[in-house]
Formats: sequence, structure tokens, C-alpha cells
Amino acid sequence: MSDALNGRIAVVTGAELPLGHGLTMALGRAGARVALLGAADRLSSVVADLDAAHVRTVGVEADWSSRETVQDAFDEVADALGPVDILLHAAVPEIAFERLDLVDVDDAHFRAVWETTMRTTLFVLQAAFPQMHGRGGRVLFVIPTVAMSGAAHLTPYTMVAEAQRVFLKATARQWGPDGITLNAFAPAPDHFPIGVASDEVSLAPPALGGVGDPERDLGPIAVFLASDAAHFVTGATIGADGGIWMAP
Amino acid sequence: MSGDRLAGRTAIVTGAGQGVGLGIAHAFAAAGANVVIAARRAETGEPAVQEIRERGGEATCIVTDVTSRADMTACVAQTIERYGTLEIMVHNAFRGGTPHRVEDVGLDVWDQNSGTAVWGSFYSAVLAFPHLRTAGARGRLILLTSPSGVEGSANIPIYSAVKAAQRAMTKSLSKEWGPFGITVNAVAPVAETPALAGAFAENPVLKERVEARASLRRIGDPEHDIGGVAVFLASDDGGYVTGQTVVCDGGSFMGL
Repeated sequence: MSDALNGRIAVVTGAELPLGHGLTMALGRAGARVALLGAADRLSSVVADLDAAHVRTVGVEADWSSRETVQDAFDEVADALGPVDILLHAAVPEIAFERLDLVDVDDAHFRAVWETTMRTTLFVLQAAFPQMHGRGGRVLFVIPTVAMSGAAHLTPYTMVAEAQRVFLKATARQWGPDGITLNAFAPAPDHFPIGVASDEVSLAPPALGGVGDPERDLGPIAVFLASDAAHFVTGATIGADGGIWMAP
Repeated sequence: MSGDRLAGRTAIVTGAGQGVGLGIAHAFAAAGANVVIAARRAETGEPAVQEIRERGGEATCIVTDVTSRADMTACVAQTIERYGTLEIMVHNAFRGGTPHRVEDVGLDVWDQNSGTAVWGSFYSAVLAFPHLRTAGARGRLILLTSPSGVEGSANIPIYSAVKAAQRAMTKSLSKEWGPFGITVNAVAPVAETPALAGAFAENPVLKERVEARASLRRIGDPEHDIGGVAVFLASDDGGYVTGQTVVCDGGSFMGL
């Protein structure tokens, strides 16, 4: 077991899905103390697995609707565990995963996907900043490669994903002097409930034979990016898809 | 008029009262298109129409706020009423882009950037779609994005994000609408516009840095440097190019 994250405090959003669950387990097994932000009833399985692995864990009910409520959740984490070192942001509202022709997307749906997700993205960055300011930090956004490849019938979600990816680049440029790094962690689309398989992204099969197990194959990459070893990597998009979508 | 590559076609260009939108409108009109200047203010839109007509082109102004579904619906309807078809939708209008820090920025800045860039793109796309589908292989959606939406700009993170969203929309919609023959592309210019002039006025060294970074050592002209690219994408010549972001920045950011 690696101890690359020994004693670090990691806030994770989106641990409800198998991908977030696996990445969270990897952070915990590498020594991080973990705060899970989300709805308690949907986090019980990851909490149980973290407990079984003797990872110190707190769950915090998060209300993503305003800067203040997200800040409250981060303050609660700091009170329970200490200031945040690592933010792994993977939460996306489920409505984002619905496949629709864009012409059938109404304003309410578009708002629920685009505005809600992007505002939450802004709020979590704003909440993490004061805790990382002056002492450094690691921010990882989980972004499927459809951000870069595009995907029919998922236009609003791909807009969110690509906007997050470029937002973190710009923020990486702002926060670099504070020692805060921000990177995009880009798994294959198969890990997201969006009905896109990797063979839609590339004619070739995954170079490494599959899309990977969240904890065993993708986890170590997230641990690396969250660790001291990655201190000189920022604004980058790290493909974690076993060689499917290869950046130009 | 200098060409007929777009003869018999009708284009809506949002934000065409000035800057890049005006440049594209001139280039389209010169290529023979009927051009609808969708401007938020008649004070910029009407003079643009005047200039185009003086040069022998056809244009009309429809006052439109791109963040309003009702306005955009009316704009498309009036375009069809006047010209009968709509082959080319260009969404260029934008307000926002003021410098900010991520940790401090308020939702007012978010709303302004998101409203014109993202909601404007959404309405442009879905409201033009029935007519673009009728146009089939002549159907075009062109979104004006920015090199910032590719590389991320330190002073304007929210602008970078909304401009990136437009590029993703371009890719996803190109896949969705490809079966109808419609192409969807983005253009990312660096050009002499009132917005850029404002940024240079606030930060005089920026102009030198932008020029020095460009391989061509100059800032683009909206009509001749950017408009020509838009005409190519809108014409039959560009019919097999779709889902792409064409960066027109004189050789500043090189991504591939």
C-alpha cells in the first residue's frame, strides 16, 4: 500500500458512482483522510468500504445551490479533519446523463445541466481556495474524454465537461503562485452512465485492452496527481482511458 | 459584390453591428448572401445594413437580444418571412469578458458570460435547426469562440469556460446533425474589435504581447482575415469540414 497521501485531507464529490467510489478508495488506501460530499443515503456503500479499509472518513451533506452552502460544507470538513489538501470533483447531476437531441432540450433541462453544474464547479473552487491558499493544494476534475471528442445527444453534458476542463486551465494559471495545481483526469466514457462506448470515440480498441478498473487501474493515476510527486503538473489533461482517445 | 459563393443563401449573424460579426456580415454580403444583422441595438445594426447596401449587398437589421428565446424566435421567423430560407446561422454576439479572480468572482459575471455565449449558442442552434435541416447540405451553424476557450486565459477564467462550452457544442452537434448534411464549426479569432481595443486601452503592453506572439506579427482584420474563413466554412467548399474549431489568430496558439 502506497503512503503517498499520508495525512492529507481529501474532499471528494461524486463518490456515489462506481468511478468516484473506486478513485476514493484509492485515495484512502494511499493514506488520505476522506470527506465525502453528497447525499448520505447514496454514499453508504463507499462509506462502508472506506470503514472496512480503516480510512478515516466523514460524510457531509452538501447543498450545491449557493456559494454559502458549499462553503459551509467545506468548513464542516475543516472542522472535522483539518484544512483541505485535495479536491476530487466528480459530481454531476444525473439529469446531465440523459440522452436527448438538443432540439428536444428545453430551457429548464438546459439550465439544470449547464447552469447548475457549472455554478457548483465555481462554488467548490471558491470554497476550496481559502483552505489551500498559502499552503498549496491539488484539484482534480474528473472529466470524460467526450469533453474533447464530443458526443451526439449529450450536447449539454459535453459542454459542461469541456467548459470545466478549460476553466481549470485558466484557474491553474491564476492559482499557480499559491502552489495550487488543477488538472483534468480523463477516463473512458464507459465509466459514465451516458450510453457512450469507447468504440464510438476511436476506431481502434483500447490500446491496453480495456477501459480499466476504477480503483486498481485509474486509482493510482489519481493518487499520483494528488501527491507531491505531481507538484509540477498543472492545467493538464491526463488521459486515464487505457489508450482510447489520444490527444492531438 | 465580389463573388457568388453564397448567392441565393440567407445568413443570420448575431452581434453583427460591430467587430468580428460586422466583418463576417460584410464578407457574407460580398459573397452574395442575404445577411440578417441580428444586433442588440439598432444604433449599430442599422449603420451596418447601410454600409452593406452601399457596397451593393443585401442586408436587413433585426434587433435581437440573443439571451432571449422570444427575441431569437422572432429573429428567425422574420428572416424566413423576408428571405424565405435560412441556410447559415452564425452566433457571434458576446458581452462579458471583464477580468476577474476565480476566488472572488460573483454570479453577475458568470451570468453575463454564460448568457450571451452559451444561451445565445443554444437558442441560435435549436431555433435555426428546422431551417438548416431544410437546407440540408447547405445548412451551416458557425459559433464564434476564442483561443481562450482552448488554452484557458489567466485573467478571464469564466470567459475561457463559456468559450470552451461552445467548442464542445460544435463537436457534439456536428455528430448529431451530420446525418442531415448540416455542418457545425467554430471559429476562434484574434481580431481588431471594440472589445480588444478596450482591453488594449486598459493594458497597453497587452497589444505588443499579442502581436509579438502571433507568427504574422499583427492582429487580424475582422472582414478580410476572419470573414474569409467564415465564407469558406459557409460555402460548398467547406462542406466536408465539420466539428472543427478553426483558430484564426495569425499563428499564436498552435494546438495540434
